[in-house]
Amino acid sequence: MTLSTEVQSPAPKADKPPLSTKKRPANGMIRAQRRAAWILMGPALLNISLFLGLPLILAFALSFTDYGFFAAPKFIGIDNYLELFADSDFHVSVVNTIVYTLMVVPLAMALALIVALALNMPIRARSTFRVMFYIPVVTATVSVATVWLWILNPNVGLANEILGLFGMPPSRWLDSPDTSLPSLAMIGIWQGLGAKMVIYLAALQGVNPVLVEAARLDGANKWQIFWNVTWPSLGPAHFFVFVTSIIGSFQVFDLVYVTTQGGPANSTRVLVYDVYQNAFSGLHLGYASAESVFMFILIAVFIAAGLRLQRSKSDDN
Amino acid sequence: MTTEVIRNTSTDGRSAGRITRRVLFYLVLSIAAFAMVVPFLWMVLTSLKSPAEVNSFSWLPTELHWENYGDAMSAAPFLDYFRNSFILAVGQTALTLTFATAAGYALAKLPIRGKKYVMWYVIALLMVPFQVVIVPLFLVVKQIPLFGGNDIFGQGGSGWLDSWWGLIIPLSMGPLFIFLSRQFFTTLPDELAEAARIDGVSEYGIFVRIMLPLVKPALVTIGVFQIEASWNSFIWPLIATRSPDLRPLQLGLAIFSQDELNVQWNYLMAGATLATVPMIVLFILAQRYFVEGLASSGLKG
Repeated sequence: MTLSTEVQSPAPKADKPPLSTKKRPANGMIRAQRRAAWILMGPALLNISLFLGLPLILAFALSFTDYGFFAAPKFIGIDNYLELFADSDFHVSVVNTIVYTLMVVPLAMALALIVALALNMPIRARSTFRVMFYIPVVTATVSVATVWLWILNPNVGLANEILGLFGMPPSRWLDSPDTSLPSLAMIGIWQGLGAKMVIYLAALQGVNPVLVEAARLDGANKWQIFWNVTWPSLGPAHFFVFVTSIIGSFQVFDLVYVTTQGGPANSTRVLVYDVYQNAFSGLHLGYASAESVFMFILIAVFIAAGLRLQRSKSDDN
Repeated sequence: MTTEVIRNTSTDGRSAGRITRRVLFYLVLSIAAFAMVVPFLWMVLTSLKSPAEVNSFSWLPTELHWENYGDAMSAAPFLDYFRNSFILAVGQTALTLTFATAAGYALAKLPIRGKKYVMWYVIALLMVPFQVVIVPLFLVVKQIPLFGGNDIFGQGGSGWLDSWWGLIIPLSMGPLFIFLSRQFFTTLPDELAEAARIDGVSEYGIFVRIMLPLVKPALVTIGVFQIEASWNSFIWPLIATRSPDLRPLQLGLAIFSQDELNVQWNYLMAGATLATVPMIVLFILAQRYFVEGLASSGLKG
């Protein structure tokens, strides 16, 4: 290991050519710096190791055990995973989670990019608009879930009243198995839009104005500038937004816990809710761990698939 | 329309069409932005309605029933929940601003053997979805030695469960904040630290007195992110606490709303207002740092 090791980060454009610091004499000063580095890093590294790294390893280990909380864990090989294949609640949860993710992520990303493009222009009241789109992000899912539960109330809710203004028939929203999951997706899109928008805004500010100006001077129209200058430089932002959105949608829990508790008729039973039920109501901790591991793998597969898709798309250009 | 806007829109001519387009643009944008905040307006309006106005639909309250807030607080101990959320947010934010920034600084500016691997480790943990580890995290927290009746091997008691320790510490100084602060410190020039070193300032002095003040917007960004994450957290308090005295606001609100038979919507919306407004105000006060902070963290393209 040399001092010049330049850390690779997933953040784009951070890799400068490595500066050689080897020539600096390795004296007491460097030793003092090394010691200070470990003391400064120590508490945070210890904390994430103990409460994130260790639990991650334990999740894998426990998934091969029968653990009911009161007795010691018993090794049972892959029985938990075999049992998962036959568990209809688990099947429903996986399907619901994937459907929810497919409803939320593409639509929310597209809307967020459109809003970011609009709010990146020199328009009036720009920061007020930005704040309005971002407010749902800073408020707790539990709180806004109670508000949406009230808005989507089939009898006296605001949503049906507004549908009525446009002459549309009322909906049962969260109370019907047909509309419950789309209703949740709508809330999810609404709440996550601002977070994605801010990432896109930051990325748009990084678009080189010289390139835009050069394209304009060459007679490119707005669409050409967007596709040839703006879009290619949004790649890292797409990556970041995509990964965080996938992880977020797969972990949806608070919303379901408050609004539907997985109902009606299991139509909104999602993975984390199923894990929670199995672990803390059923006390099947080993089984719930196997489910968690499955979820982890599913998220990884989705992210890998999305990356491939994006890479092949950018190769076309 | 400002002249700047007009100059930015394509060529001359067809100005009537351009103005129509502009008006349409602002109209659509305004409707979309309004739709984003309607739930909050409806929440506040509902919290001020009488029970009769809530039970049959009405657009606006005829009178403002401010007493709903007092009544809601006697229906559930919302003030206690509020205080608990406050303690939780302050505790976690203090820990994050102290230790996550220190780690970020060390990773950005100090020589560390195997720095690349430490960084990969932090990034790997950053990618771990929290919900994947809740079950084993519960078990780890339960087995903290010598707490909650546990022996030195972490057996026999409840460890940090149902305590402020367990509520605050495990979810503070997360890898995201270590990574973000590392990104911020990376942008600072090395010469400052070199000069201070030559002047005989200690390594800790360099960090606290020279480097930290230079990343104030970053500290605000990290602080606000952490305050919001703490204030809005739900699943961990749900799992890690049992006693009502430790219940933060979101958990209290969720439990209050589960009483489906006699849920009083105006009280529930009063509670939701109490739970959301502080974060909205905090965000509006801090928002000018946000895009700046994110842009300089290297998330930009």
